[in-house]
Amino acid sequence: MASLLLITVLLPLVGGLILFLLPGLGMKQARVFALGTALATLALSVILLFAFQRNILTPQFAFGPPEGPYGVTWMERLGIRFALGLDGISIWLVALTSLLMITAIFSSWESITERAATHYALLLALQTGLLGLFASLDVVLFYIFFEFTLIPLFFLIGLYGGPDRRRASITFFLYTLAGSVLTLIGVIALVVINMMNSPTQDLTFSIPELTQNLSTLKWPAWYTADSWSSPQVVVFLLLFAGFAIKVPMFPFHTWLPLAHVEAPTSGSILLAGVMLKVGGYGLFRFNLAMTPLGAEFLQPWLMTLAVIGILYGALAALAQTDVKRLVAYSSVSHMGFIVLGLFSLSPTGIDGAMIQMINHGLTTGALFACVGVIYERYHTREMSELGGLWNRLPLWAFFFILASLGSAALPGLNGFVGEFPILLGAYQAIPTAAIWAALGMILGAYYLLWMLQRVVFGPLREPARHVEHADLATSHEAHDGHGTHEATVRPLGRHEIAGLAPLMVFIVLIGVVPSAFFAAIRPSVQPMLAVLDAEKKTDPQSMVPIPPAPIPKDPGNGRIFRPAAGGMR
Amino acid sequence: MSLNALESSQQTLLVLLPELILLATATVMMTAGVFVRVPRRVWAGVSTVALFVSFVVLVLLIGKSTDALQSPVLNDALSVTGRLLFALSGFVILGLAHDQVDDARAPEFFGSLLFIHAGAMLTAGANELVFLFIGLELVSIPTYLLLYLSKRNNASLEASTKYFFLSIFASGLLLFGMAYLYGLAGVSNLKALSALLTLPNLPDVRFALIATLFIVAGLGFRVAAVPFHFYAPDVYQGSPTLLAGLLAWLPKGVGFFAMLRLLTGVLAATTPTTSLDNAIAITWIISAITMTLGNTVALSQNNLKRLFAYSSIAHAGYLMIGIVVSFRNASSVSALTLGAEGLIYYLSAYAFMTLGVFGVILALNTGDRAVETVDDLSGLRQSHPWLALAMAICLFSLAGIPPLAGFVGKFQLFTAAFSAARDEDGRLFRALAIIGAVNSAIGAYYYLRIIVGMYLKRPIGSRLETRIAWPTSAAIAVCTIVTILLGLFANPMLTASRVAAESVVKQAIPTTPAVASR
Repeated sequence: MASLLLITVLLPLVGGLILFLLPGLGMKQARVFALGTALATLALSVILLFAFQRNILTPQFAFGPPEGPYGVTWMERLGIRFALGLDGISIWLVALTSLLMITAIFSSWESITERAATHYALLLALQTGLLGLFASLDVVLFYIFFEFTLIPLFFLIGLYGGPDRRRASITFFLYTLAGSVLTLIGVIALVVINMMNSPTQDLTFSIPELTQNLSTLKWPAWYTADSWSSPQVVVFLLLFAGFAIKVPMFPFHTWLPLAHVEAPTSGSILLAGVMLKVGGYGLFRFNLAMTPLGAEFLQPWLMTLAVIGILYGALAALAQTDVKRLVAYSSVSHMGFIVLGLFSLSPTGIDGAMIQMINHGLTTGALFACVGVIYERYHTREMSELGGLWNRLPLWAFFFILASLGSAALPGLNGFVGEFPILLGAYQAIPTAAIWAALGMILGAYYLLWMLQRVVFGPLREPARHVEHADLATSHEAHDGHGTHEATVRPLGRHEIAGLAPLMVFIVLIGVVPSAFFAAIRPSVQPMLAVLDAEKKTDPQSMVPIPPAPIPKDPGNGRIFRPAAGGMR
Repeated sequence: MSLNALESSQQTLLVLLPELILLATATVMMTAGVFVRVPRRVWAGVSTVALFVSFVVLVLLIGKSTDALQSPVLNDALSVTGRLLFALSGFVILGLAHDQVDDARAPEFFGSLLFIHAGAMLTAGANELVFLFIGLELVSIPTYLLLYLSKRNNASLEASTKYFFLSIFASGLLLFGMAYLYGLAGVSNLKALSALLTLPNLPDVRFALIATLFIVAGLGFRVAAVPFHFYAPDVYQGSPTLLAGLLAWLPKGVGFFAMLRLLTGVLAATTPTTSLDNAIAITWIISAITMTLGNTVALSQNNLKRLFAYSSIAHAGYLMIGIVVSFRNASSVSALTLGAEGLIYYLSAYAFMTLGVFGVILALNTGDRAVETVDDLSGLRQSHPWLALAMAICLFSLAGIPPLAGFVGKFQLFTAAFSAARDEDGRLFRALAIIGAVNSAIGAYYYLRIIVGMYLKRPIGSRLETRIAWPTSAAIAVCTIVTILLGLFANPMLTASRVAAESVVKQAIPTTPAVASR
């Protein structure tokens, strides 16, 4: 099974490379090829999902024995390994990525006509980056995939985006890069701290091993987090820099509306659906699991920022006239919920945050795909120019309403299943935060329903420009003897239905039977909270520090810093 | 194992064979060039063959050792790694250079290139103050010649004159530093010096600070580190692209190898002292300022050569992290060699990504229209998709985006800085890593600006129509592929760097006291 995961991760990249080397490929061949690759990847992901065993806590589908070391040596000198494996959280994110990829391809089915092969190549490369980072068991490997995703997304936005695409792609790239270099420093700090203070003096980059070692470090200062300069707090903040921008948390969200609005539909779907989850995943995997005391110290600040993000995102969404912008700002608001749940540091809250990551991926992916459908037909996303589309595109309207209601956390749909536990968890931690967040939930319902009211319901209103254009077309077509205005708005195509329907199924499914999804997530969340409790209870004085500047032992396998031959006299 | 003089010099000559081949070929070429008129491709071919023979000999010589305490050259791991690196980058440079000169000046041109490479290789293997200096000058003097040979307009004359005078000045500083290094123990053999410095109470190591200061200053010029950087933008801009590329890589490589030999190798053995702490302070400041200045000034550049001049200054700053850390490694008990190691790895990555970038600019400049500013590259994707791709890969690597070579190098240097942090001045090293990281984010902007121009903008002005000769394309392809491979399969180079770094600080233990106090 181990090689199955490896193939799943690398298959899109191989497909992407083939497409890249055949740039002359026509739109039709390119999209079919890309779809084939994505479907194969999805099939593999589904096999992984069914083969996943819930009761096993060690990473699954990894090369090597269950207790590690996983994977194969990659950069021997530094002890970096090429190690992939999944746990109860990453398995869902891998599945989500593979699913949204299909939607992304279908959403660009007709709209990408020029340089289609390159477009799909970039999408597939992006998928490998995302799958790889969720599956990484080595911090450096994680970071490599993490940064690698920037390149395809940069070109996707820059080459296929809207009018302001150049600025959007640069802002996106530099903003996220600036944060993630600090994350890299945080990661290095963790690894070095672990090397210097763990009993074995091992230089390890393995995520499971680091998580475990860092909780039993022989370093008293590690267990006190009472000021901004405590080691755990500093490392927390370094790691936080990159992930907070990715999420994005208020006030680091400014890149998001620009990038989302300018990105092509496929880019928006993956950006909002999966890329933002990378931030949440990183916060969980690194900040919470490796520096829990730092998280506890900063909890009031973080929860405050999360609540500000929820309210700010919601209010900003209310002020939008562009549907895509509205959905983009709603992401800021909803991602605030995820951060709120994560830093509630309660099992309920974190469970909720994890399931909400999947939910948000599904609903926002669907919303962006729906907006793409409209834009493709009317070349506008202004709410003032659109209205009553229920009459024109009933099936689309159904999808759009369902996704919006899921996003607005209507009980019975998926959003509720995520946001309710988050509020519960937040209430246990800081009741005021939960109350304000609940207000954000109401606002969320308000702007989404308001959007639906304007765009879907009411009398039919179509953009003037479009009508003019259509009239022009009609008059031309009238000469040819076919086509009227009505006929120019084509109904939902088969590919569009195929892209949206699966998302709808899961929006309902998670809402109706949430336990099936929680069951896999919970076992992976528990150990992390146990670590926090254990570290809180640790008496710093009981951890006898290892003498400074120790001489590392040399087992001769190169995994450990070796003293220079002449260094010791 | 003490050898008699004859055996010792035989060994030395054997180890020097690769350089001797290059030097002999270059001398013959320059002499014959006066009498023989053949097209430049013959000269280019002859130099490539000479470099190839030298390369093969170099590979065959791996494992041959010399007596570290007597011989002026070493064939240790650092020497092998450095010389192989210079030889390999030499092929790239020859590939780019093959059509950059007219037939009349070709023998001097290619002869100078061979001299430069022989000098660079000599520096990497030098084990003697004087010998090392000869290596450095063997790089500098033919560079003056190349600068004067190339074009004859005012800008290039100004550039070469500036370079000439400053280079001479830097050599003077370096010699002054070397004199102090010699004065520490009265020997000029570096390994012997290093061994002598470990003896209790023998030398007064405080003078090492003066030596460090002047050596860093002298070599700081070659690597274009602040405050000795200011010539670089003018000289690069005034020089032909090939020479700008050559200057961006070779003197830097040579300078850092010399620093490893002179500073890390010699001072590694000394017990922790205030002079070592001061050396850390000096190099720390230089490193931090160099990368910050290089990156921030590069942000506002529009001329490509100037931009890459500042970019090369910034990279000198990153590389200096390796030197800073290697001082600390020397003084800590565990003697981590991670600093020197990161430096060697990053140098090899830097060589290929920089040459790749300059190669692309050079290839585009062969047509009618000159490519001088960032805007001139607009829409390159449409006219030259493969060149644009090669350029983008090299630029992403320079910006430190994984999984390319530049990322692994930066990662290693930052890790080195972090792991050098000890309690007393831990903040210093952690701050250096953070400064480096922030800098690489700043630096990404101007690299990205070029990529945006190439990929996202429409071409302005006339379409670039250039046919590129195969050696140039091959050189660019090699650079690009090496940049990717060094990142994806970093292991062999990482191992080589580690072994090399260990050999720098490795002590030669004198067998008899007589040898040590020669």
